[in-house]
Amino acid sequence: MSFFLPVTRNRVSSFITLLPFFLVLIVSTSASAQQRVSRQFPAGKNVRLELKNLSGTITVESWARDEIKITATMEAPAVHFNPRQTDLGLIIDIVADNRDRRDVGDVNFKVQVPIRSSLDLETRSGQITVSNVQGELLRAHVSTSGDITLSGISAARVFASNTTGNIYFDGDFASGGTYEFKSGRGTITLRLPANCGFHLVATAPAAEKIKMGEFWHSGLKKMGEGRRIIGDVGDGRASVTIMNYQGDIHFLRR
Amino acid sequence: MNCEKYQDLLSDFIDGSLASQDHHSIEAHLSACGVCAEVRGDLDAIVTYCHEHRGEYDAVPNERALWLRISNLIEAGDLELATDLRTEIPQNAGWWFRLMNRSWQMSLPQLAASMIAVAIIVSVATMIGLRRFGSGGESAGLRSSGVTTVAANGLPLAERYRQQQQTIDYWNQRVELNKARWNPQMRETFERNLNVIDAAVNDSLSHLNQNPHDEVSEEVLNAALNDKVELLREFAEL
Repeated sequence: MSFFLPVTRNRVSSFITLLPFFLVLIVSTSASAQQRVSRQFPAGKNVRLELKNLSGTITVESWARDEIKITATMEAPAVHFNPRQTDLGLIIDIVADNRDRRDVGDVNFKVQVPIRSSLDLETRSGQITVSNVQGELLRAHVSTSGDITLSGISAARVFASNTTGNIYFDGDFASGGTYEFKSGRGTITLRLPANCGFHLVATAPAAEKIKMGEFWHSGLKKMGEGRRIIGDVGDGRASVTIMNYQGDIHFLRR
Repeated sequence: MNCEKYQDLLSDFIDGSLASQDHHSIEAHLSACGVCAEVRGDLDAIVTYCHEHRGEYDAVPNERALWLRISNLIEAGDLELATDLRTEIPQNAGWWFRLMNRSWQMSLPQLAASMIAVAIIVSVATMIGLRRFGSGGESAGLRSSGVTTVAANGLPLAERYRQQQQTIDYWNQRVELNKARWNPQMRETFERNLNVIDAAVNDSLSHLNQNPHDEVSEEVLNAALNDKVELLREFAEL
């Protein structure tokens, strides 16, 4: 038994025949709406990159060239994108470049930098991912929602903060370095080598939300009903401050 | 010829360089005029003295060196004066008394440099003060992440909270004005993240109601309120 009348059946079969064509048309239209811009800039070994995005992902990885390569995929084709090269490095400010514009949409960045680069990355919403960078400074700030993933990091100063989203750090703490992690809602995870030494001030909404794992020892002090843990781990030479309003804080040994 | 004219010619008369007619004319006047005769006497005495002590007042070989010596002597005199003033300060006098009794002498460039230095110090101190006032005890990294505070350290919690709340109210009004222009996605993002921060504020206040001296809750409250200000400020510009 057929559910359709003969005329209707013909129309359905025609629609099914044309469906792949429509799908291809839709996908190609969507792809053509996006604009991809790629630029390369000469850079020294200790270059600094400042990137301020409105919305969208920022992915940074190191490579073995003394150059910075920026690939920006823009949702709205007319987004202004004007990187400025200075003596210190490269500045990309999507916020300033599009100040009078509305509905700029997502701009997704993929950036390749020399391994010793310092990075100052900021977006209103969207993920920030940084891998294998060993510069002096690494700052990643998401003012609303977005995960921050920092892996293979060796920097003297690391600051990571968001309101909603997880923060993951996998790297080393330099002696005398400063490391700060702050989240409103999300899990902050630090994966560290066993011999890592740091002075810790970790604050979470409840005692059970701070999980020190194998880094726990009796010399660590608990305050405020266990909502804060203070003390030295190892030589205590690096300074680590963590604050999480609602989420967990996890320490993992590498 | 009057007395003034005669007195003008007196110097030449004494030197003997006048014509004989003029010479006799002046002689006749001097014998009759007591005033001019007295002037002639004074002038004569000066000229005679100079003739007698000729060579004793030769010009100094290095006039500039002389003036430098004079200048040094004057300065030395000033120092002695200052030393004398200092010695007048009692031994047991306080630092304020000593400061106020000190003699201050500065040249114009020194005075200008001092004024510039004072202006720079005041500017730097003001900037540091404002920054501290704005930081509210936040650490450097969180400041660099754009987090700014509105409360000064050392204020009572209630007062600090009231100040922060005023700032929040201000930015909230700005946000409300712009909210109508936002797209639904932006509105949802804003509301969701504001709720996260508000929850942290309420949790901290709840802890503080139970234990007003809870240091941890106080810090979390301060940080959360600052985050709220920052979020509102960011969205107020959209």
